[in-house]
Amino acid sequence: MKNKIKVFRAMHDLTQEDLAKVVGVTRQTILAIEKGKYVPSLDLAFKIARHFKVNIEEVFMYSEEGRTIDVD
Amino acid sequence: MKKNTFFLLVGCIALVLLAIFWYSVETHLPPLLIESAFIIAIGIIYLARKKVTDLIEDERSAKITEKAALRTFQVFWVVFCAISIGAVMNMLYIPQLPRQHFSEPHQEILPWEILPPRMMGYLQLGLLCLMIFLYVGFRIYYARKYGDWETDEE
Repeated sequence: MKNKIKVFRAMHDLTQEDLAKVVGVTRQTILAIEKGKYVPSLDLAFKIARHFKVNIEEVFMYSEEGRTIDVD
Repeated sequence: MKKNTFFLLVGCIALVLLAIFWYSVETHLPPLLIESAFIIAIGIIYLARKKVTDLIEDERSAKITEKAALRTFQVFWVVFCAISIGAVMNMLYIPQLPRQHFSEPHQEILPWEILPPRMMGYLQLGLLCLMIFLYVGFRIYYARKYGDWETDEE
């Protein structure tokens, strides 16, 4: 799952801390999502997209390529 | 309450618990004191945690905790059951195979004993303590996997 959170943050002049506070998570979580280390829940993904006033597909891009089932 | 105040409170409670523990040991008090102190301490920590205003846990940290706990349990129950089955086998007297065919004539055949039952109990207690380290290990692994120590670009 790729995302454009960093781009949208730059467009809205927001820091990771600001966005984290708005959506109710830690700054580390925003950083992990941006780096692709953590896939957010639907709830959080919608919150982020809604904050940027865009559709969820504009922020998060699902790709079959490199998709793995998270078993561990 | 701020997050740091909460951690400070937890530290103080841990120190008090340690003091009560050593006081109970030195003065040969019944274990009821430290047991009730431990339960009260957990209660205070639980209530204090509810009053923390700045965020401590979000969905990512909840997922890390959940995964670490699940993996710990998966590893632990296998090891614990294997040891426990061994203990039960030991207590029920291990079935004697016809070893006399393989031993010297007139040699005394002694029953096999891996560990006496009392030692098995200690081993199980040790395993319980080991579970804590196992959990910490898994927690570190999943925290790393879900980007806990990622470098900041800002």
